[in-house]
Order: sequence, then C-alpha cells, then structure tokens
Amino acid sequence: MDWSRHLLIVPILLPLVTGAALLLIDELRHSLKALINLASTLMLLVVALVLMRIADGVPDGSEALSLSYAMGNWPAPFAIVLVLDRLAALMLVLAAVVAAAALVFSLARWHRAGPHFHTLFQFLLMGLGGAFLTGDLFNLFVFFEVTLAASYGLLLHGSGAFRVRSGLHYIAINLAASLLFLVGVSLIYGVAGTLNMADLAVRLPEVAPQDRMLLQAGAAILGVAFLVKAGMWPLCFWLPSAYMAASAPVAAVFVLLTKVGVYVLLRLTLLLFGSAAGELTGFGGMVLLWGGMATVAFATAGVLASQAMGRLAGYSVLISSGTFLAAVGMGDTAVVSGALFYLVSSTLTTAALFMLIELVERAREPGADLLTVTMEAYGDEVDAEEDDEEEVGVIMPGALAVLGVCFGCLALLLAGLPPLSGFIAKFALLTAMMNLDGLGSPTDIPARTWVLVALIILSGLAALVAMMRTGIRTFWAPLEVIVPRVLVVEVAPVMLLIGLCLALTVQGGPMIRYTEAAARSLHAPASYIGGVLQPVAGPAEAGAVAR
Amino acid sequence: MELSPLFLILALPFVAGLAVVLLPSDSRDPATWLAGITTLACLVLTAILYPSVADGESVRYQVEWVPSLGLDFTLRMDGFAWIFSMLVSGIGFLVVIYTRYYISPEDPVRRFYLFFLAFTGSMLGVILSGNLILLVVFWELTSIFSFLLIGYWHHNQAARDGARMALTVTAIGGFALLAGVLLVGHIVGSYDLEEVLKSGDLIRSHELYVPTLVLILLGALTKSAQFPFHFWLPNAMAAPTPVSAFLHSATMVKAGVFLMARLWPVLSGTPEWFIIVGLAGMASLVLGAYLAMFQQDLKGLLAYSTISHLGLITLLLSLGSPLGAVAAIFHMLNHATFKASLFMAAGIIDHEAGTRDLRRLSGLFRYMPITGTLATVASAAMAGVPLLNGFLSKEMFFAEAVETHADSWLDTAAPYAAVLGSALAVTYSIRLIHSIFLGAPPESFPREPHEPPFWMRFPVMFLVIACLVVGIIPGLTIGPFLHTAVSSVLGAETPQYSLAIWHGFNLPLVMSIVALASGALLYLVAGDYLERSERPLLIGRIDGYRIFELVMVAMSWRWARLVEGIFGTRRLQPQLRLVVATAIIAAAVPLFYAGLGFGQYGIGVTDPAFVGLWVVGMICAVAAAYQAKFHRLAALVLMGGTGLVTCMTFVWLSAPDLAATQLVVEIVTTVLILLGLRWLPKRTQTLAEPDGGLARLRRFRDLALAVMAGAGMATIAYAVLTRAPPESIASFFVEKSYAEGGGRNIVNVILVDFRGFDTLGEITVLGIVALTVFALLRRFRPAPDTIERPEQQRIQRSYDEAEPDREPGATATDYLFVPSVIMQWMFPVIIVLAAYLLLRGHDAPGGGFAAGVAMAAGFILQYMAAGTVWVEDRLRILPVVWIGGGLLLAALTGTASMLFGDPFLTSYFRYAELPLVGKVPLASAALFDLGVFGLVVGATVLMLIALAHQSIRRLRAARIEENP
Repeated sequence: MDWSRHLLIVPILLPLVTGAALLLIDELRHSLKALINLASTLMLLVVALVLMRIADGVPDGSEALSLSYAMGNWPAPFAIVLVLDRLAALMLVLAAVVAAAALVFSLARWHRAGPHFHTLFQFLLMGLGGAFLTGDLFNLFVFFEVTLAASYGLLLHGSGAFRVRSGLHYIAINLAASLLFLVGVSLIYGVAGTLNMADLAVRLPEVAPQDRMLLQAGAAILGVAFLVKAGMWPLCFWLPSAYMAASAPVAAVFVLLTKVGVYVLLRLTLLLFGSAAGELTGFGGMVLLWGGMATVAFATAGVLASQAMGRLAGYSVLISSGTFLAAVGMGDTAVVSGALFYLVSSTLTTAALFMLIELVERAREPGADLLTVTMEAYGDEVDAEEDDEEEVGVIMPGALAVLGVCFGCLALLLAGLPPLSGFIAKFALLTAMMNLDGLGSPTDIPARTWVLVALIILSGLAALVAMMRTGIRTFWAPLEVIVPRVLVVEVAPVMLLIGLCLALTVQGGPMIRYTEAAARSLHAPASYIGGVLQPVAGPAEAGAVAR
Repeated sequence: MELSPLFLILALPFVAGLAVVLLPSDSRDPATWLAGITTLACLVLTAILYPSVADGESVRYQVEWVPSLGLDFTLRMDGFAWIFSMLVSGIGFLVVIYTRYYISPEDPVRRFYLFFLAFTGSMLGVILSGNLILLVVFWELTSIFSFLLIGYWHHNQAARDGARMALTVTAIGGFALLAGVLLVGHIVGSYDLEEVLKSGDLIRSHELYVPTLVLILLGALTKSAQFPFHFWLPNAMAAPTPVSAFLHSATMVKAGVFLMARLWPVLSGTPEWFIIVGLAGMASLVLGAYLAMFQQDLKGLLAYSTISHLGLITLLLSLGSPLGAVAAIFHMLNHATFKASLFMAAGIIDHEAGTRDLRRLSGLFRYMPITGTLATVASAAMAGVPLLNGFLSKEMFFAEAVETHADSWLDTAAPYAAVLGSALAVTYSIRLIHSIFLGAPPESFPREPHEPPFWMRFPVMFLVIACLVVGIIPGLTIGPFLHTAVSSVLGAETPQYSLAIWHGFNLPLVMSIVALASGALLYLVAGDYLERSERPLLIGRIDGYRIFELVMVAMSWRWARLVEGIFGTRRLQPQLRLVVATAIIAAAVPLFYAGLGFGQYGIGVTDPAFVGLWVVGMICAVAAAYQAKFHRLAALVLMGGTGLVTCMTFVWLSAPDLAATQLVVEIVTTVLILLGLRWLPKRTQTLAEPDGGLARLRRFRDLALAVMAGAGMATIAYAVLTRAPPESIASFFVEKSYAEGGGRNIVNVILVDFRGFDTLGEITVLGIVALTVFALLRRFRPAPDTIERPEQQRIQRSYDEAEPDREPGATATDYLFVPSVIMQWMFPVIIVLAAYLLLRGHDAPGGGFAAGVAMAAGFILQYMAAGTVWVEDRLRILPVVWIGGGLLLAALTGTASMLFGDPFLTSYFRYAELPLVGKVPLASAALFDLGVFGLVVGATVLMLIALAHQSIRRLRAARIEENP
C-alpha cells in the first residue's frame, strides 16, 4: 500500500498518540507538554493541508475514487472506513487552524489552569479528525463521544462555580443527544443492516416500503441528535451559556463542535437522501430550512439582547449554524458551495471573537455590559454634562488600539460587511439562493428564499448594532481607561485568524472554486460510494497476503 | 498585474493610508505631505485619463476575483466617473491642506489621515467600480470610514452618538442596496455595470422591478441623507470640520445621488421611480431648507442646507427627463464647490473665534475681512445669485420643474416647491452672512478672532474662485467636461442644452427673482425671530434623533429581550424537555404518515420464568425512576436490580460475553455512584413539595412525555424485532471470525479486530472521562450541608463513646471484619481471574475490557475492606500512566501493521511453536487487548481514587471545623 494512503489515519492517530504520551509526562512540566502539544497540532495542520491537496487532486466529477482507507484491511462495507473528500479535507484544515490558534492563545496562561489540558486538547482533535473522516455511522458515534468527552473536560477546565454549573448542563444535554444518536443508529441498522455510510446510501432506496417508515424514524431521531449539537432552535438554548462559561481558548475550539453537527447533517443529507435516494429524496430538507431560519431569527434577537460579550459570541455561533442549516436545507449545489465558504469564514470569525473577548474584558470595568445599553437609552441626559467638548484627539494606548482594530474587523466579519470574507460569504450565499439555476436564468424566487435572504441580512445588521454598541462603550468611552495586559501570544492568534479571513477575501476565487467542487461531489454521491465500495484494486489485495 | 492608472488611482490612497500608520507618532507634517501628494497624484492621474473618456469612451481595468459568482474586480471610468474622480481627489487635496492648519498640533493625526485616505480610496472605488457588487463593497467601506471619522473625537458623547447613528442608518441602506443589486443581477444575469446599463428595458419591465427599485433607493436615499433618513447628517457634524467639508458635503453624501444618476438610464422613467424619488427629493428640498433657517449651529445650518440641495438634485433625477439629469449632474458639481468652501470657512470661524454658535457670533467682518468676503460669495452661490455657479444649475432646475413630465399632483407641485425651497435657501444664506459677519461685535469672543494663515484660507479661496469662474464663463470652463459626463450617462438621449447665463426673460428667471426677493423679505421680517428661536416652528418637537434612539432601543433591546425570553430559555429542564419532545415528534411523524406495521415474527418467549424476570426488571426500573428524586440510594439499588435482570437476559439468550461484561460494569458503576451519593445535597420531600394546580399540571405533562418516549421506544423496538432481519453485515463476521480473525469468540474478534477502531475510540472516551472526573474532583469542595458526619457514623460514634471499653470509631473499623480479611486475600485471586479473562478472550468469553473491569473490582474490594487511607498508602499503580500506556500500546499495536504496508489495525495471526509449551496461538489483537485492559484498569482506578479520596478530604475539613 502506498505510504501516502496512511496519511488518512494520521489526523486521528497523531493526536491520540500525542495525547496518550502526554499522560506519561509529569503534570508539572508545563512547558514540555505545551511544546509537544504545539508541535503535534502544527504537524496535524501540515498533514491536513497535504490531505487537502490530495483531495483536490481528484478530478472533479470523476467516479474513480474518493480516497478511502479500510481499517484492518477488511473489505469495505464490513470494515470501518475512513473517507477523504474535499469537504472532509476542508473541515480538517479548518479544525487544525482554529486549534492551533486556540492552543497558542492558551499558552499565555490557560493551559496551566487545570490538569491534563494538553491531553484533553489532543483528544478533542482526535475526535474531530475522526468525525470528519469516518465513513461509518457507528464509528461516527464513537468519535462524537470522543469529542464530547474531551469537551466535557475542557469546558470544566479552569473550574469555578459558573463553569461547573454550565458544564453540567452541557453534559446533561449532550448525553441525552448521544442517547438519541444511539437509538437512531440502531434503528437504521435494524432496517438496513449496515453501518457503512456508502453502503447505506446504496441500500436505502432498496428498503421495502413497509420498512421505510422505521428507517425514516431512525433517521429523524438521528437528525435530532445532530441538531442538538449543531444548535438548531429550539434545541440550542444550552449553547450560549456553555460557550460563555468556557475559558477563551476552549470556547474557540468549541466553535468547531457545532460545525461537526452541521458537517454530519450536510454529509448525510446529501449522501443518503440525495437525488438517488428514490422515495427518500429530500427527506428532512424542509426541516433544516425552516429550522435554520428559526434559529437565525432567534439568535438575531439573542445577539441584540446580549449584555455580556460572551453571550453575544455564543449567539453568533447560533446564527452561523442556522444560516448553514437553512442553506443545506435548500439542497442546491451553488448554495451549498456558498454555505461552505460561509462556514469557513464564520468559524474563523467566531473562534477569534471568543479569544478577543477575553482580552477586551480585561480592559473593561465590571458592570460595563449593563452600561452599554442603559447609556444608549438615556444617552442624551449624559451629554448635557459634557458641554465642553475637547477638539483634540486622544491617543489610544497601543494595546487598546490593536484590540480595537481586531474588534472592528470581527464586527465587520460578523455583520458581513466588506472588505473581509464575511461579505464574500454572504454574497456567495445570497447570489446562489436567488439564482438557483445560475445567474441569468429566469427562475422565480420562492417566498421562503425571500424570508431567508431577509433573515441573513437582518442578522448581519443585528450583529453590527450589537458589536457597535459594545465596541463604542469599550474602546471609545470607557469610564476609566484600563490598559489591558495583553501578551503577544494572545493577540497573535486572533490576528492570524483575521488575517486568514482577509486572505479568504483576496483568494475568494480559488476558494469558491474549491467549495464548488466540494459541493458538486456532495451532490453526486456516486463517486463517494464508488470510492468506498470499489476502492482502487491492487495494494489492498496485496496486503491480504499478510494474513 | 499591470499597473493601470485606474488601479493606481484606487490603490494609492489605501497604500498611503497604511504608510501613514508606519510614521512616527508626532509626524504631523510628513503625514500631511504624504496625504497631499497622494490626493494630488490621484488628481493628476485622473486628469491624464481625460482623453480616453472624452468622446463617450470608457477605460476598463479588470482582474478576476470570484469569476464563478460574477464578481470581478472591474474598474471602469467614463465621463461621469471621470468628473467625480476629479471632484473627489481635487477637494480631497484642498481639504488636506486645510486640515494641516485645522487640526491641533497635539492631535495624533496618523489615525486621522489613515481614515481620511482610506475613505478617499473607498469613495474613488464607488465611483470607479465597474461591477455592482464591487460598488457595494466600496459603498459600505465609505460608511465604515465615515463612522470612524465622525467618531474621531470619540471622547465626546456627540461624536459617538453621531457616528453610531450615521453608521446604523447608512449600513441599513447599504444592506438594502446589496439586496437590490442582487436582484438586478438576478434580472440581468450579470453584475457588470456595462451589462446592466444595457438592460434598462428588461429591468423596468420585470416583475421584480419595484422591489429592486425600492431596495436600491433605500441605499441611495440613506446615503444622501434624504427624507425620511435625513436626520443622521446634522448629527454627523460632530466630526472634525475637514471631515464635514469632505465627506458630508462634497463627496460621501453625493454617493447616493451619484448612484441614482449612474443607474438613471436603467431605473428611471417609471411612475414608481417618479413617486418615490420625487417625494423624497421634494420633501428634503423644502424641509431641509426650512430647518436650516432655524439652526443656531453654523455647521448644523450647513448640514440642513446640504440635505436641501441634495433634495434638489434628487428631485431633478426623479423627473426622468434627460435635461433634468443634466441639471442634476451640474448641480452635484456646483454644490460640492460652494458647500465645501462654506464648511471650511465655518471651520475657520470656529477655529479663530472659538465658537460656531450663530447667536454668539457677530460682526466678524472687521476681524477677518478676507474670509468674510469668501464666505459671502460662497453663500451667494448657495442662494443662487446670478453670476455664480449655483445660479446656473438652479435656473436649469426651475426650467425643468415647470415642464410637465407626468400627470400627477407631484409634478404640479414641483415648481412651487422649487421656488419655496429656493426662497428659504436665500433666507438662510442671508442669515448666515448677516449674523456672523455683520452687526456689532459682541463684547467678547471665546478667542480673539483674526484671519487664519494664508494656506488655511487657500482652499476656500480656490473653490470660491471656481464658483465665480464657472458662474461667469460656464461654457468655457466646465462646459466640455460636463458634456462628457452627461453624455456618458445619457448616451444617445443626451439633450441639447445651453450653459449660458442669459436665456432671455423667461419663466425660470421670474421664479429666480421671486425666490430671491421673497427670501430676502422673509429674512427682513423674521430674522430676529430666527435668531432667538430655540427650535423650528411647527415641527420643532419632532426630533429625528430622539425618534431614532427610541426606535433603536425598543427594537434592538426591549423587543430583542422579549423575543429571547419568550422563545428561549436559559434553564436545563425546559431544554431537556424540548429535546425529548422534539425526538418524539421527529420519530412519530414518519410513523404516523406511513403507519407502523409489525412484522410476521412473534417475540417467541413464552417461558413464564423469563417473563417473570422481565416483570421484575421493569418494576425495578419504574420504581427507580419514581424514587430518584428523594431517595437516591433506593433508586440506585433498584437500578442495580434492572441491571441484573439485563445480565440474566443476556445469559438466557446465549450471550455470555455480554453478560459477564455487563455484570462487572454494573458492579463497578454502582459502587462509584455510591461513593458520589454521599456528596450530593440533601433533599427532603417536605421541602420541595410544590403545590397548586400549575405545578401538578407540569408534572402530568412531564409524566406524559416520559410515558410517550418510553412507550414509543418500546413500540419501535418491537416493530424492528418482529421483522425479518435485513441481509446484514453480521454474516460476514460469523464467517470470517475464525478463518481470518483467528478467534472463536466472535464478539471479541469484532471488538479487537473487525471493529477494533471503534474500541480504540471507546477506550479513549473512557480514559477522557476518568481524567475529567479527576480534574473536576480535584478542586471539589464539599457543600456545607455535607461536611458533617452522616447520621449512621454519628450513631456509631456515640455508641462507641457511650461504652467505656470501646475506642471511638471502633465500630466502623470492626465492621465486617471477617469478610474484609477474605476480601484482602481475594486480591491475588482476582488478578489471576483478570489475567485469565484477558488471555482467553479471543476464543472464549472474556477480553481486555471485561478483564480490566474485573481487575478494578479487585481494587474496589480493597477499598471496601480496608478503607481509603489504607489503600492509598499501599496503592502502587499510577492510574494516569496506565491510561496513557494502555492507549499507547493499543495504538502502537495498530500501527505495527503499517510497517508491513497494511492499513492501521490489520491483525496478524499465526500459531507459533514454542519450546516445551508447544503450539500456541499468537494474535497481534491480543496485544491490542492488553492495551484495552491497561486503560480500563487505569481509568476505573483513577475514578475510584478521585471519588474515594473525598472522604479523607471531608475529614480534614471537619477536623479544621472542630478544632480551629
């Protein structure tokens, strides 16, 4: 077997081995542990990039293969397989980037705030890698559990009453969701007799009509489990509090967790209920569409109603999820392409926001959150005292200025204003939604599209209003100027993520080409199925001799 | 990328802006030079391009950006864009010179120039965009930089409020514009400006024309501060005056009318266009002029006058006649010249006299005669006095207003509104000059006024001369350029027009005279009243600012909180309830629509013993749920009963492997939970008995939900079980287990080989959970109500103390003395048992997991027999190392196969001939299983230690409490 094929297992194996090895090192040797963790995460990033190149090298639309890797050298539907395609590779890179940034951020102080941070961090990455790569439904459950277990530990990292309370809520909700996951998988297995996703896609259309409703029930229950993780209204109320309670670097990687939920929904919806699914085609699409829209609407209100910045960021995560879900519910190739671009952009943004918030809050006096809103309401009473206007600009302390610029950039990204990638993402989504058959074809725009377009635009506006409110209060009119102590390793990751968003804008063309190719292959699952069930002959056979 | 001049014009300001930031902080002059040279360079570059656009041609520059979405970086300059670029870079240059003297030397100007230059670039971007999406990009950028510039003096409340309001209003407009442009793209099939300009008929006849129009106009009208969105502009006057001169009179507010003119060939000429644009324009024209009269702040007056003049332009554009468009374009240029000069003059006055309150200013002419003269000429241009440029475009406006374009009251009203607006403009222009420069000087100014430095006055002078020159010899100066601009917008429709001053004694001239005379008369009559008025007559109480704030607070705060409160929750129980309910609905809908049928097979269990077993199990489960809230111990015991029934069921149905594993897991988890129970807060039934109908109702609802979930689950399970099993992958496992997996125990081969990868993941989960429990409990501090000794211990203790021959605590120590000795003896036996389970696993019931849990049970027995302190003293294994080691062993066993070129976890199996022992089966999977064993032992022991250790901690806490 070609060595490069083993690369597929690396995103799972590398964090596993690193995490386990870190356990053997004494808890007090923080620096050594941090160094190993960082090296491993960076290596993961490199591997993810290489995998992305490999995935992108597959000729578009070819039935030949999406790359698969069968565990234990058993033949495909029986073995657990890992499958690499553009979508999976993209998610891996995204996860590695955000993780690397969050890890660097944590090195300033958070990684010492509790035991086994580095191990849990690596295990979380292992779970993410597995969830993105696996082609097996039960194995997906396993990696969900790995991710969640690690996230329980990380959420509680740093301790404190609020964190423990929110953490236990989080655990309760997610355990309930995991139970549903298991129920759903069992039902599907009970009817279809297989767990391999590709095999499932082949078998589903052949399921007898009298058994189909059980399959649907199973898929629906499974869907609820994913929707809890993805944060769709009304299953999303746990999310803002949990993310707000998490320490900043942990919250940043948690942004990836909701993406696992939406990733799986996208993957399974198009693979199992795509155009080839016969009677089952389009199953659940409307739920995703309307549920996504409800999520966006609710989260928009939430963003406006948030006093604490952490909660605002939490609701921004929900807006991101809702928008993506609704886009997936539309089921159109170009819309999904735009949604993928949006996913990347919004993930980077919200992750950076969680980290920035902690830095900014160091510059804020307690109670400032409340003032933000009340001062706005009674603003004119205040300015009576300020008759004497000083017409000389004030110099902002350097650290505050840097934070201010970052904050402004993130506000633009959240609101979808140019020149950063938030705008391109929104444009890509909207133009695809309004022109379902391509630009210039005289297709009518259905009413639900209008609603969604309006919601997406309004959510951007709400983000702008809320961010402006907070930003002005923090950077322009602090009651007393507190210059925050900010280390370079803390602000650098935030700037890195913002820089990536800028790069996404400039390189919008190549990026959209990639997401379009990814969306096209998602809508033509034949190549995925072929890649798993009829892998390229040769090395696999040769390997069988070893038995 | 070639360096096209178009690209340079756009890029230079941004590059220079970044360069300014890199200058040292006290570099006022270098920054000024840099900004000046940049704007001048833009001006020169634009001027050079004139020959390429002169004869109706356009220059294009295109770089691919996101081609598949129709978004390219297209720059396009035609005559109209050319004249606007000239305007922006020219006035930009003058404002830079002015700024040098206006901004205080202590001011950190780098930030100012950064925003200023970036704004210039964005504004040029709006003008030069050849792609509508690109135009929106720059459009939004101008809003953002305008926000930053208004808020430049952000320590002032007014600056912050003005900035916020400006951005909110223009951003709303910008979002609407984006939607409108998307619709244009939907209709036309391209976002390219040239394509769009060719598709006027298509757009106007399209069914989506009205929404498209409304959305685009929302963008344009908010940007140009047109009624009813005008209120942000006066509040934006908190910006430094150079910003007001540049952004809020000459350039940015022109972006709205620029866009309307740009898309005029495509969108105009329909009744909808006429009504919306005309109404907004007319209202702004009259209202702006009316409100301008009452202003006491000099800049406020100019701001309302700007609204009024932009309204004039809007009204001209609404008419849909080519001549109207010509007049509109002409007036855009004229207004920019005289208004920018007036703003700068206002800044000079503010700067030199220390105030810009009209009530406090008076008689300034004797202190600053040159500035006074310049301001007077500029005001006259604003009022539309002959021989000045304002007069020319106003005449054209009157001529157009008189023409009938559409049969509607709006058209009829146009000439009257025009005259009214102009008359009011005359009034406020006179008031401006009269109250500032004429009259007796007050006793004192905040500062002793004097003429400003020459270069501060120079920009004003330059612009005023421009007003004069254009006003006197229009045909020779602005004529050809205006023609280029007009014909690039109107193309073949370009009308014949004349820029002459004298058109004969016609109706427009009469209107001009009437306006001038009545305006002057009005000032004579009401001048004193205006000087004293606190707020505008009649509509003074309607304050756009206040309304905006109220709406914002209501919508963005009160309503949002309401929505969040009604449709959301922050509590756990409602969320869990929703999850369960959603799952029930999700499963029920397909079943309801398709109808759930059961299969042909019965369950086939008729043995009464088995049925009885299950009845016991079910009773235990229900009872456990019933007792869970107040009697945790009882609930736990009952759950154990259910677990045992499950184990027996496995045995009954011939799954010894599962049964064995389940049994040890039951034991270990029950013990672990028991250890934790001690620390849960006490609950007494009497305390938490809610009464009242509502609480009862809630409980019934929850009960119903629970019953539905349980019954639903049972029904579905029954439906699956009674069906013919599908052709599944299971048969493969049965066939290959021994042949290729080398094990007779299929379950174990599945666990360590077929699906060893799952196992690897699951043991990781177990390891993580143990680490998390440890991390959580490491910081655990018992709640106050659990610190004291439990009741049982207190009873034992008092018994010990009451009996003279007993040591305190002896009862606890002596408890189960004989069994505890046996338990300690059992330890080696259990180790052997675990090893046995581990080794036989591949062929017979057992395996690494079962062995690991069995081993952990051995540790639990030690705890039970000897107590925490004793065990912790003697514990020789490091559980964290066992977890790490076990995981590493399992993972590395899997990777070994890679050395032979096989995928991860490929197992190797053969019989080896060992000396003496003989033939032994060797499977690499056994090593993997050993890793599993190590991890399970490590994880369980770690949790055990973490939980059990709390009792020692409690003692310490209690001891401190007892003997402080």
